Amino acid sequence: MSDFSLYLTNGLVMGIIYALFALGVALIVGIMNVINFAHGELYVLAGYFSALFATALGFHPALAMAMSTVVIFVVGLLIERVFIRPTYGNDMYSLIVTFILSIVLQNAYLLIFGPYPRKPPNLVTGATNVFSLFMYGNQRLLGFGLALVVIVAFFILIKYTWFGRVVRAVSLDRDMAALVGVNPERVNLISFGLGCALAGAAGVILTPIFPVTPTVGVGVSLTAFVVVVLGGMGSFAGCVVGGLVLGVVENLGAAYLSSAYKQLFGFVILILVLFFRPAGLFGRQRV
Amino acid sequence: MQYWIAAIVALGCFATLPFFLGQYWLHAAIMGLFYVMMASSWNLLAGYTGQVSFAHAAFAGIGAYTSGILAVKAGIPPLIGLPLGVALAALLGFALGSLCIRMGGIYLSLTTLAFSEILRIVVTNEYEITRGTMGLKIPPLFGEYSKTVSFYVLLIAAALMLWAIRRILDSDLGTSFRAVQNDETAASSLGIPVVRVRIIAFVIAGAMAGLAGSLYGHYLMLITPHVLSLDLMFLVLAMTVIGGMGTFVGPIIGALFLEVLSEYIRVYGEFHILIFGLVALAAARFAPEGLVGLWRGYFARKVRSGQ
Repeated sequence: MSDFSLYLTNGLVMGIIYALFALGVALIVGIMNVINFAHGELYVLAGYFSALFATALGFHPALAMAMSTVVIFVVGLLIERVFIRPTYGNDMYSLIVTFILSIVLQNAYLLIFGPYPRKPPNLVTGATNVFSLFMYGNQRLLGFGLALVVIVAFFILIKYTWFGRVVRAVSLDRDMAALVGVNPERVNLISFGLGCALAGAAGVILTPIFPVTPTVGVGVSLTAFVVVVLGGMGSFAGCVVGGLVLGVVENLGAAYLSSAYKQLFGFVILILVLFFRPAGLFGRQRV
Repeated sequence: MQYWIAAIVALGCFATLPFFLGQYWLHAAIMGLFYVMMASSWNLLAGYTGQVSFAHAAFAGIGAYTSGILAVKAGIPPLIGLPLGVALAALLGFALGSLCIRMGGIYLSLTTLAFSEILRIVVTNEYEITRGTMGLKIPPLFGEYSKTVSFYVLLIAAALMLWAIRRILDSDLGTSFRAVQNDETAASSLGIPVVRVRIIAFVIAGAMAGLAGSLYGHYLMLITPHVLSLDLMFLVLAMTVIGGMGTFVGPIIGALFLEVLSEYIRVYGEFHILIFGLVALAAARFAPEGLVGLWRGYFARKVRSGQ
């Protein structure tokens, strides 16, 4: 029983992080209909920056986390402006460009940071006895809490601010939103940056637990795509549910079925969802 | 007519290569032919019908592993295993194409990506059969191992494949491909069987990739899950984009160009992928029609200024 609850907790903790970086993909898909293949590489970059700021430059780890998330936001703005903007209206071309970009970034990281894992310092140490069932690392519990805070902040931003209203308007009907005075280029730019910043936030939260190497971003991108499809393209609530479902399925599946096939479950889910319910769990029926 | 003469002259020049290339460059030429086959067949699917599949390397892997495993585990000669591999790749192309029929654009890409990753994970983990990342040692296609023979086998296969692609593009089917890419609704209103056309493209491209992969495996005599990884997929995509997607000669030029380039920058080790990527990124950003587009633009300007 305590084994099962440990696996379940692991699943929920990973799930909420999945939800966090998948929200970034969902935001960009909803607004621009662009799949950003380089999403995972931005997660990795956030981890590297966080380690760099905290160890090489000596900032407090929490400050380093915030700073690197901001850096990733700016990087996202640059990517949108330089590479995505010329592809407007051609979904396939943006896909190809971001796919190439992800390979370029992976190899650039290899050149700059080397193949060895890097990690920023932990914010907290030790472990807590959870419900007197099992011991659980404090850093993981903190990660869970931080991810939850960022997700709640994101939902408040979408629901209650002017920017959120614009985002919802554009993802419902692009032309109509432009007609009532929304500047689509600026919305695209900021949404793309924000989407990347969510990958960055996930990166700084998770890298103290799972150190980054140049290629771990591939897994992050693929997981994000599975979560976004599962939840329904562009649905934010679907992302959170999808992330939790995938996290739990992966961890229980790895524990009770096969750990070698852990990554397989996500892809099987992806194909099943796309085949039987292409709109996802919460999506609008428009595929 | 001029076109065919140019093609035959190019083929003739290529056929003389083994007489003055050393072993090292002969290997590069063989790899170049493999990439020409991969990029051209992917272009048929992605560049002409607009279905950007990420499963093309997976189909090459299916071809390579089918004939390889049959030869090693069941003792079936590769000359029989190879067509079986091609048939299986075509069959899975049919299955994947049918699965994707209700989706367009990015959904199709994600499904093919998931298919490709599932295959890679299974092949990596089923160690007993595939020997996982250690790689499976397989016999050559026939007789003793010889680089020169392998070169001619791949040259003939590539020439036949390019001829087939050219014939398809010039036929009604090729016209339907382009119609489906431009506007599916309009194509279907003109009576083009969109579903059938899209699946046919998947089957043809899958079979071609299976053939290329199988020949590649029997040439190297060692197949690893790298064949069906996204790394190979990236090379194929980069070659097509750099050469010019949606053109017949683009992928051929892109594949040969990148293969030759990669031999010159091999001294930089692992980082030659980075250079590839930067070239591809620059091409995608500044010359979306690739080298062929640049050449045509240059030619068009010259004609205009001459008038």
